[in-house]
Amino acid sequence: MDYLLQTMVAGLMLGGVYALVAVGLNLIFGVVKIINFAHGELVMAGMYLTWWLWSAWNMNPYVSLVIVTPVMFLAGIAIQKFILSPMQNSSPTMKIFVTLGLSVFLQNLALWMFGGQFRAVNFPWAEQNLSLLGINVTYGRLTAFIVALALVLALFYLMKRTLVGKVLNALVEDRETAGLIGIPVKKYYLAAMGIGISLAGIAGTLIIPFQAAYPLVGAHFTLLAFVVVVLGGLGNMAGSLLGGLILGIVETLAGTYVDPALQQVAVFVVFIIVLIVRPQGIFGGSARNAEVGLK
Amino acid sequence: MKKLSLPWIIIPTTVALLLPLFLRDQYFLHISVLILIYTGVTVAWNIMSFGGVLSLGHAAFFGIGAYTVSILYVDYGVNPWLGILAAIIFAAVGSLVLAIPLLRLRGPFFTLATLAYVEVLRLLAIWAVPVTNGSVGITTPPTQGLAYISFESRQPYYYIALAFTLAAIAISIWIYRSKLGYHLRAVATDEDAVRALGVRTNRVKLGSLLISAGMTGAFGAFAALYFFVIEPDTQFSATLYSIQPALNGIIGGMGTIAGPIVGAIIMTPLGEWLRVTFSGASQGVNFMIYGAVLIIIVRLMPGGLVEGFRAIARKTRRGGKGRGGKRSADAKTTKEGE
Amino acid sequence: MSPTERGFNRRSFLRYSGAGLLALAAAPALASCASRGTDATTLRLGAMYPVSGTNALLGEESWRGVQIATDLRNAGGGVAGKQIEMVFADVPDVNTAASEARRLVFNKNIKLGFGTYSSSLALAATEVFARTGNAYVELGAVSEAVTTRGYDKVFRLNPTAADMTGLHMDFIQNYLAGALGKPVKDLRVMMLHEDSSYGQSIVSLAKAAADKIGLQHFEAEPYSAKSTDLSSTVLRMKSQEPDIVLAVSYAADAVLLGRQIRDNNVKLGAFVGTGGGHSLASFQKALGDAADGVFDVDFTQIHVNRDFTPGIEDFISEYHKRWNAEPASGHSLSNFTGAQMLFDILETTGGNDDPEVFAAAARKYHREAGTSAAGWGYELDAQNQNQQGSMYVMQWSGSKLETVYPPEAAVRAPKLITPFGL
Repeated sequence: MDYLLQTMVAGLMLGGVYALVAVGLNLIFGVVKIINFAHGELVMAGMYLTWWLWSAWNMNPYVSLVIVTPVMFLAGIAIQKFILSPMQNSSPTMKIFVTLGLSVFLQNLALWMFGGQFRAVNFPWAEQNLSLLGINVTYGRLTAFIVALALVLALFYLMKRTLVGKVLNALVEDRETAGLIGIPVKKYYLAAMGIGISLAGIAGTLIIPFQAAYPLVGAHFTLLAFVVVVLGGLGNMAGSLLGGLILGIVETLAGTYVDPALQQVAVFVVFIIVLIVRPQGIFGGSARNAEVGLK
Repeated sequence: MKKLSLPWIIIPTTVALLLPLFLRDQYFLHISVLILIYTGVTVAWNIMSFGGVLSLGHAAFFGIGAYTVSILYVDYGVNPWLGILAAIIFAAVGSLVLAIPLLRLRGPFFTLATLAYVEVLRLLAIWAVPVTNGSVGITTPPTQGLAYISFESRQPYYYIALAFTLAAIAISIWIYRSKLGYHLRAVATDEDAVRALGVRTNRVKLGSLLISAGMTGAFGAFAALYFFVIEPDTQFSATLYSIQPALNGIIGGMGTIAGPIVGAIIMTPLGEWLRVTFSGASQGVNFMIYGAVLIIIVRLMPGGLVEGFRAIARKTRRGGKGRGGKRSADAKTTKEGE
Repeated sequence: MSPTERGFNRRSFLRYSGAGLLALAAAPALASCASRGTDATTLRLGAMYPVSGTNALLGEESWRGVQIATDLRNAGGGVAGKQIEMVFADVPDVNTAASEARRLVFNKNIKLGFGTYSSSLALAATEVFARTGNAYVELGAVSEAVTTRGYDKVFRLNPTAADMTGLHMDFIQNYLAGALGKPVKDLRVMMLHEDSSYGQSIVSLAKAAADKIGLQHFEAEPYSAKSTDLSSTVLRMKSQEPDIVLAVSYAADAVLLGRQIRDNNVKLGAFVGTGGGHSLASFQKALGDAADGVFDVDFTQIHVNRDFTPGIEDFISEYHKRWNAEPASGHSLSNFTGAQMLFDILETTGGNDDPEVFAAAARKYHREAGTSAAGWGYELDAQNQNQQGSMYVMQWSGSKLETVYPPEAAVRAPKLITPFGL
């Protein structure tokens, strides 16, 4: 029983990480309608930035959020302004490939700058164990989990209660109509991209106390984050959280009780099944988007 | 109405046929074989994009083809030629797994499903050690001869690859001009309208999937015999055989006949050249440049090179007052004629 | 509207000829770098290592060792009066390895190639060299298959996966069983291995090696080195309560595994890494004191009995000079040693790299153990596998990975410490 419980908790913590990476992607996917294949690499950028602040300036990784968040926000705006925005009227395929190009570029920029070495942040506090009822969780993972919850709540609030959020929601639903009724679409795209990518950076900062950074670390996150977004539903932030947690638990349970070599297979199989059975996501995003696909 | 001007088929084909007579350098022939393999896979990939569908799952069909031929050859002694036939069938059957998502999902959701499928197959190939020999991989035997598609010289490989590629191009042209192709392009424009006209769009899309996958399987099988070593991370590599063909196609011009050919002919040597030139310099520089070039090409020529060159040609002809290449040239371009 | 016409008209011809011109322009660009291969004054050898992609880290480390060996040798007058020139190829994946091997052989006229770090890359590269009648010397890959395919000009100087599993069992039998106070047949041993060709080629031999010493409770569990969470693996480990864990890991996964063993409070009798990640300086950096006591079976590392490894000081100081750091792992040292032996063999042929001449010389060459920088000797068996290269057991102590077994190479005796700070 303890064993099962520990497995579930480990799965939840992992799911928190997935949710953390996925919320930013969801915002970008939902609002700007771009499949951002460089999202994992932007998480990686956040990890390296945090690592650099820690190793060169001895900065507490959690404090470095003060720097990482705005820097990544600006990076997001730059990417939108100089790369994506001029391609607004290109086909979705072209936008996919421009982000793929960005992903290849960033991976190898990291290899060129930092080498293949993995860079870990040794932050003793994050490595301490919280033991409750025989279940162990490190503070680092717990913090990432709690921040994931908090960010999702914040985004949820932003999307549902604020004017900005209502506009973003309108953009998730229907960009053309939003444009017609006089919403400055471009500005909101910049904002969504900035927020989305700073969320990727925050994810990177929170991950690095327990996961070392190396050039290919992001590649693994990108596809998983898409799985989470699709599971949870497009534009549905709470869905992303739940989707992330479900994936984390599926992965850990499959690894523990079936075969560790097949844990990722289980994740993708769940993904393909959900896509087929409920393409709008388990928790339903904007049904219209899922039905029509992105144009 | 339908003119298929023969010179532009005959001239390049003749050049391709005569190439080994001028190019005796085995390394160039090797690069040429690579270009032919990539051209073939890209042309196969492009058949799905006639229908406006973006697949990033072709590494799956490529890998199934590669593993089919080599497992049959190494473990069961089946002749590679028969193995290639089997590879075509297995890849087509393997593609049926994607049939349901293809029919139910549109746009990026289908694309993501295809990418996940590649990942599942890669992990399964690593896991199923008794069948695939896991990550260590399978090495094909060194026995040489036409019967085994194994030669010391590159020339025979070149001609076999050329035959495969020409066949693929011929099939692609035939499909493009057939009723199937016409329906596909109509589906790319407006699926619902086409369905309303009584076309069974599901059948049309399924047909393109099966043909495209089977062709990719054949090239996967040939590549397995050509490279000798078959291993999950390479044969089921999304980067090498899903993204690269798609990239060739997009850079050349997705959904056109010539686009994928042009794309593969340009991009394959470019990748080789960057690696050869910069690999000694500093880690990762060649791929950094590759990524940057990719961003720039896609950003400046969103319709692909074919569209881009066309715009340039138009501009020069009209004294610089052309429409420019700004108009998007995604799946929609297929509806325009000249 | 006649959509079928696209692609075949006069205008499109303009476009294609433009594209064709571009492609034609690329050809001479590739051609211009052709080389004549070895000549009277220069010995040109092909070096193949993965310095980008998944294997970039240890591939680069291996290549550094070769660079040092080359520079030192050239400064000392080269091989038989010829300067050595390395023709380098980056081989991030199997198809590229096959492709680059072709380039070296046909475009660069290379007769003798070497490399490769990873087993699947080595298989691809050697297939090309062997099938074109050229010679290839493997300096790093451990899979048995490299030398068991019957190619008479494929050589391997480094010890193999069989040496690793053999030493694992030797160490369990002769040290760990006694230190843990249990007879071998009662020990519970678990092997965790990442599922690339490295892990899979080691685990394929481990079962037999375990049977040989009468180890009855032996389990193997695979995992993916790309995982960002190894909770499942660690929880399965916890439920099996092994006395000894043998781990085969790459880089970041080695750290993750260590951290998660600690986080889940899994007390182990002993933890033995197997090269790769567990030899890296950054493994210790990431885990800090928690790395203390972790054993590691691998190629020779720099903290070794210096009487047994003449020339190692030159290597270390040269490494410092060039990269301003300690070697990241023993991969640079083993490739350094391999390259030196390769040069010594070429010395005996008078700098002739003709495959037949080299093969004959390579089979004739002999060297005692304890006479090279890695402590290896040289003597080929019938399959062209060096029998005098050996693996050692190291143990982390502070920031040093000290050699502790076997005694002739050791700097101190092994100490049994519960690993990962538990």
